[in-house]
Amino acid sequence: MNKYLAVGRWEYLEKIKSKAFLISLFLTPAIMAGMILIPAALASRPDTETKVIGIIDPSGKVHGPLGKMLEDRYKLPNGQPNYLLREIPVPSDGIPGAKAAADTLISMEAMAGCFVFAGDYLNDSIVEYRSSNLGDIRLTEQVFETVRDYVRQNRLLAKGLDTSMIRELTRPLTLRTMKVSRPGAEEESGFNQVFFTGYIFMMMMFVLVLTTGQILVRSMLEEKSNRVVEVLLSSCSANDLMFGKIIGLSGLGLTQMAFWAVAGVLLSAKMGTPLPPAPMVLLNLLYVVLGYLLYAGIFVAMGAPVSTEQDAQQITTYLMLVLFVPIFLMFSIAQAPNSGLVRILSFIPLLTPSMMIMRISILMPTPAEIAGSLILLAISAVAMMKVAGKIFRTTILFTGKRPNMRELVQFIRSE
Amino acid sequence: MTMVSVSDIRKQYATVTAVDGVSLEVRRGEILGLLGPNGAGKSTTIRMILNIIRPDAGAILFDGKPFSPPVQNAIGYLPEERGLYRKSTLINTILYFASLRGLSAAESRRRAYDLLKRFDLLTYYNRKVEELSKGNQQKVQFILAILHEPSLLVLDEPYSGLDPLNQVLLTEILMELKKKGTAIIFSTHVMDQAEKLCDAICLINKGKVVVQGPLGEVKNRFGTQAVRIEYEGDGSFLAELPGIRGMVRYENYSEFSLDPAMGTSQLLRSVLAHPAKLEIRKFEVAQPSLNLIFIQLVGAAESGGKGGGHE
Repeated sequence: MNKYLAVGRWEYLEKIKSKAFLISLFLTPAIMAGMILIPAALASRPDTETKVIGIIDPSGKVHGPLGKMLEDRYKLPNGQPNYLLREIPVPSDGIPGAKAAADTLISMEAMAGCFVFAGDYLNDSIVEYRSSNLGDIRLTEQVFETVRDYVRQNRLLAKGLDTSMIRELTRPLTLRTMKVSRPGAEEESGFNQVFFTGYIFMMMMFVLVLTTGQILVRSMLEEKSNRVVEVLLSSCSANDLMFGKIIGLSGLGLTQMAFWAVAGVLLSAKMGTPLPPAPMVLLNLLYVVLGYLLYAGIFVAMGAPVSTEQDAQQITTYLMLVLFVPIFLMFSIAQAPNSGLVRILSFIPLLTPSMMIMRISILMPTPAEIAGSLILLAISAVAMMKVAGKIFRTTILFTGKRPNMRELVQFIRSE
Repeated sequence: MTMVSVSDIRKQYATVTAVDGVSLEVRRGEILGLLGPNGAGKSTTIRMILNIIRPDAGAILFDGKPFSPPVQNAIGYLPEERGLYRKSTLINTILYFASLRGLSAAESRRRAYDLLKRFDLLTYYNRKVEELSKGNQQKVQFILAILHEPSLLVLDEPYSGLDPLNQVLLTEILMELKKKGTAIIFSTHVMDQAEKLCDAICLINKGKVVVQGPLGEVKNRFGTQAVRIEYEGDGSFLAELPGIRGMVRYENYSEFSLDPAMGTSQLLRSVLAHPAKLEIRKFEVAQPSLNLIFIQLVGAAESGGKGGGHE
């Protein structure tokens, strides 16, 4: 057996049993699913209690029909109305007095909010809504929509249209969204589905790089501090040791990905969501694998010289920040996937994988860009491996102070 | 038959010359003591022999040939600072290191069984390394160094941390290996052990060889003018007597070498005449111990002349 395979086999078999790996294997998808599903579940959970909304209605004509519209449209699961309009009487000192009374009720949480239909709202087109919480998106969406419809209907009524005509003219519209990847190829797809395909691949790479990268740095650190590294280096070359580690940990990463992929396929089959097309998955995987190798090289190069846990921690933190850059840019990429900045960033090897994965899911970049970025990424990965090998050879025996950049460059040169 | 021959190797680190022209030879079936104070360059020399680091200059030959993968598989190494993978099982650890030396799993298992039995570790076969005591871990490390039956065995302070019983066992095994023709490099600064075990020594200080050769020859070179006195009383004045060079002094025992100009009887007379009134139990003129040679040579280099003192 080649020695690097022996090292790889050892790293794989020992680390796959480690707690860190098992945790990342099960916990990561759980956290990711939690991050996506829990807010969605919370947001879509129906109200259980009727919400009272006040209305200041000096004309006395609005609250009756509007209240009925709301009650008809939105019901609680138990059949009770979801929203109840409550008229706030206008006292002798006029609207300001009514607003003061409403504000008191709002602050006592007796009401979720209050509409003010003062003046000639049909012509001024202004209706005021007062609330202590404007972040209740579902309430504002549902109630505001009803108020808009009510005002629109009343304008049409004022122009002399009859109610059946109005219903006919204002019937709801269904919007179908189609994703066109190339001329003649259309598929039904929404923003979320597009976004999440890229998002999931990007997340996958992050977790892969971070968990196995961390395991890699830890394992070098362990061998350094227990001095096993001396025995290892007397039995195999530094290159065997480094590549063995990378092979073993890549295997670990592949296991992790395969596990998640199977889980993902099962889940999507159960939930009935379509899987992304195979060529896209393969292309994404290519970016993930090359990106992973590049980062593995960086982890080795930065991890081999350190001899304390704190220094190792620092390295993973720095790399994490670099990895997260595309996440910050996610929405700008979605808005302008072909902008100059996005294109330039796609060709910075450290960012290439996540940038391209994001772009592929939003709008397929040109074949030239894909080929170019893949070649550049592959070259960088190989170059990084070479540099990492040199640093590894010269610094793996170091203990004590972490060498600075200048010393590192000297080591690489002197090799 | 020379197994390893090292000629004129050098290694420079930034501003420090760690090894400065060391040459040595180890034959099959011979134990070479690589001696020297801390920081003398022993570890660097060993690392170069093991091909962990490359010398800046000089050559290292194994059976007359340069280092190669088969040579690597024929080397066993026990480093001074030791550790193991704590979370791994004993047998897996052994199989891993054996596979790195090119040994098949079946063969490794068979030999591991024999050695674990001999070292009384069979009960830990499938246990995690962290469950072993320190002494037992040390035995495991020694097993890792010899499992593949190396033809060159490099041991750095192999006795440290072993209890007397296991020291006996280790010595026994070293003697067996020696008989089988294993070339052994034994690095230590415990001179008593080196003196008992080694066929030849190589004493390094500050990166250079200070003295080397077969143990008897080295001792002869330092003459027979070593005096050992056992006594009761305050022997501190001994160091002040004329003609005394390099001294190892314990509470009731002193060893030193004597200026040839000063006769032993003259020395004995002045000891007896001294007002400290030592009660002499034993007075012996013999070959100097390795310890004394070490202290004289290294101590002289340290203080530029007068060596000796307490141990």
